[in-house]
Amino acid sequence: VFEGAPARARSTRPTGSGPGRVLVAVYAVFALAATSRAGVQLATDFSEAPLAYLLSAFSAVVYVVATVALATDRRWSRPLAFTACSVELAGVLAIGTLSLLRPEDFPRATVWSGYGSGYGFVPLVLPVIGLWWLRRTNRPETAV
Amino acid sequence: VRPLFSLCRTAGGRPGELPWHRDRVHSPLVAAVVMLSLLALVCGVVVAVRERPPGRVTLAVTGLAALVTLVQSGVAGYDLLQGRRPPELATYVGYLVGIVVVLPLAGAWAVAERTRWSGIVVAVGGFTVAVMTARLVMLARGTGV
Repeated sequence: VFEGAPARARSTRPTGSGPGRVLVAVYAVFALAATSRAGVQLATDFSEAPLAYLLSAFSAVVYVVATVALATDRRWSRPLAFTACSVELAGVLAIGTLSLLRPEDFPRATVWSGYGSGYGFVPLVLPVIGLWWLRRTNRPETAV
Repeated sequence: VRPLFSLCRTAGGRPGELPWHRDRVHSPLVAAVVMLSLLALVCGVVVAVRERPPGRVTLAVTGLAALVTLVQSGVAGYDLLQGRRPPELATYVGYLVGIVVVLPLAGAWAVAERTRWSGIVVAVGGFTVAVMTARLVMLARGTGV
């Protein structure tokens, strides 16, 4: 994937710099929210809704990975961030749709239920902005 | 000592005692947290609009808001130890712990790169703390989701 690794270092910009810092901050908030939510759910009443709670834990992992990947500027940062944002987008679309079609399977909310309606639909918008930002920073310096 | 948040009936609550007490939700400390975190939000937006990195005032407001948030969690934790438990205890404790790290992290992240965008980072942190405090009040009242 990275045949041009040395050149890449010069032709791309860090994702956690400039406006990217705001993106990282918002991702960090969701990492905190999703992790706490999953922690509480798994610790208190896991048997009540195992599927929803496991999805909560999964979304928490995705947010933490995305936050770290976007904040850092290592060789693995960019592909990892791309993967995390893609999984996040697929997740919010899939879980959002499922939670509306089969609400009985989702008795308790996850961050992605109803396309993230419990969080002002930010979970739906965030991966789109993340992917756009990765694309935008994946080329030589431009005026921001 | 009056409890910080209007929590539900204490473990050995007296008969006839209201399950929660509306006046306590608006304790001065909770109001101070909301005001200071929203002030941090405004400061962050203002410096970003002026295309400057966060200065002394913004960072001082952020630090003060972080400190008051810590006191709020401490006092609320003391209330918990006194036996005043909201219905969703685990979520409530999660918020009390999580809210403490938001502004210090936002401040550190903002100071690490001093651009106008750092102001927005502070603003995001202030907004988050204000929203989390509102959720804490709802959880304490027993009206949270």
